[in-house]
Amino acid sequence: MDKFTVELIVANKYGVLNRITALYAKRGYNIDSLYVNETEDSNVSRILISSKGDEYTRTQMVRQISKLHDVKKVVLMSQVEI
Amino acid sequence: MKLNGAQIVIKQLEAHGVDTVFGYPGGAVLTLYDELYKASDKIHHVLTAHEQGAAHAADGYARVSGKTGVVIATSGPGATNLVTGIANAYLDSIPLVAITGNVSVPLLGRDSFQEVNIMGITNSIVKHNFVVREVESLEETLREAFHIAGSGRCGPVLVDIPKNVQSDMCAYHGNQPIAISKQLCTPDITEAVKLIADSKRPYIYAGGGIIASGAQENLQKLSEKIAAPVGLSLMGLGALSCNYPLNLGLKGMHGRYAANTAAFECDLILALGTRFSDRATGDVDAYQKEKSIIHVDIDIAEISKNVASHIEICGDVGDVLNQLLSAVPEKRSTEWIERINALKDEQKKQESGYSCIGAFTPKNIIETVSRLFSGDTVVATDVGQHQMWTAQYYNLKQPRTFLTSGGLGAMGFGLGAAIGGSFAKDKQRTILFTGDGSFGMNLIELATAVTNDIPVVVIVLNNQSLGLPRQWQTMFYEQRYSQSGLDRKTDFAALANAFGASGHRVECLAELEAVLGGLPSDRPTVIDCPIGCDEVVLPMIPPGGSVKDMVLGG
Repeated sequence: MDKFTVELIVANKYGVLNRITALYAKRGYNIDSLYVNETEDSNVSRILISSKGDEYTRTQMVRQISKLHDVKKVVLMSQVEI
Repeated sequence: MKLNGAQIVIKQLEAHGVDTVFGYPGGAVLTLYDELYKASDKIHHVLTAHEQGAAHAADGYARVSGKTGVVIATSGPGATNLVTGIANAYLDSIPLVAITGNVSVPLLGRDSFQEVNIMGITNSIVKHNFVVREVESLEETLREAFHIAGSGRCGPVLVDIPKNVQSDMCAYHGNQPIAISKQLCTPDITEAVKLIADSKRPYIYAGGGIIASGAQENLQKLSEKIAAPVGLSLMGLGALSCNYPLNLGLKGMHGRYAANTAAFECDLILALGTRFSDRATGDVDAYQKEKSIIHVDIDIAEISKNVASHIEICGDVGDVLNQLLSAVPEKRSTEWIERINALKDEQKKQESGYSCIGAFTPKNIIETVSRLFSGDTVVATDVGQHQMWTAQYYNLKQPRTFLTSGGLGAMGFGLGAAIGGSFAKDKQRTILFTGDGSFGMNLIELATAVTNDIPVVVIVLNNQSLGLPRQWQTMFYEQRYSQSGLDRKTDFAALANAFGASGHRVECLAELEAVLGGLPSDRPTVIDCPIGCDEVVLPMIPPGGSVKDMVLGG
């Protein structure tokens, strides 16, 4: 299985991380690494999540996460970008 | 203008055109109920017997009216009793705003009396949820909640309002716009038009998105223009009239023979506002073999989730249908239409062989009721065999007339939904088909129907068992009927009378017609119809199977 990383721009509020990780848990995907940082704008956080999955998994995760109300932006990082 | 939190809730309900809410009071929402009392000339509150019934009623109200349903419950057990109703609205994409009270903010997180973390509990069954910790954010939160529930792919939103926030005061601003940043997709139909033009045997598979989008007329127009038969998902029923010749009705596990066989034999599936649930497809590999699939849905995450589609179109199915209608060429394959007609003839022959236990069969009962009521009558079901029979045999003619728990399959959904549906139509008569198992789960809502003079007609297809589990035990568990026999001595007619409703037990079609001919207009009627416990729902594609495995019986 390929490693994949998504970069998220999210509202900097309680409970947001919980909503995102719950989507991984729902499909049974383990999170290998996780970074959360407040950005220069304190209303917004940047999250990086690495996990493993094939193309189907990657597409599904990006699409499911994009639906969350508190998520402003989702980018699937290529290996080069990381 | 300074208002307290409860007054802000009322203002926001009014601002969103809410005139009917369903709910149940309790300690943590008494401040809100005090304001509901004062606003009773503008907002009618329907008190149910159980919060679950209120949630299903708000859901049924939303399905019939097309508006966002509103349900209110107290903290703790009040909130947890909503959970099944919220999950039901989530899986069927029904716009619902659930307002719960909670303990005051300083008591949150201390396991206080009647405290649960309802935000945590409902996280995976809502589009979004909020805990409002300061009254200053209540107005905007409610505005966002209604927007989220009713936009894009609709769904439930929960707003948890601690008790002190209901009484705290702050300024009320009125009509401020909300900043919603979710981007909408721009559908591109170019490739789809080519594929449709090249198809020799096109098939339309339409779902609840058609009804949510109000696209029923354009669905029929497209079907006519490209001469494509239409199979409907459970949520799509009512999107086309049963009188439209190319409407093949329900497809899927218990779908009609013609609807499933045509979906198998076609060379193109045009899926419109539907999500290829496992109950609709069975074995996905067999399902998508040797055909192209165009998937149109408003929710990008549904596209290629269950079935890999060749062309993905994300957008409102109504907009996409408009574009397709003007872009696709008119076409008709005589051979394909002849094949469809042959399948329908075959289906007719098979269905006449299904019922073998006298004339008082589920099919005959449902067809009799269907014949006696007008096309705008709202029909609700519970979950089980009766639900599938109703989906197969009730002659639905209009959208927003069929209320069923499609995705969640929640027994006990029906009576609350039928009551909510009646409120959405100025207390017009609604029909509920239920079973003795499902009815037993939430029949307490008969009290609500009696109190509110709702003339709902409850048809209990009573087989003294949990019919679908029994059917599966017959087919897959060598007739070991583990806990599916009910063997209850409940007298449903007497029970109905005890509630103040009108109760009957009928044992033939003539008796049924007689009761239906003299229904009271100011209270519910329960008609207990004993049927054989060995009646089965056919045809059936066994779970994980394909059309080739279809059990036809007869």
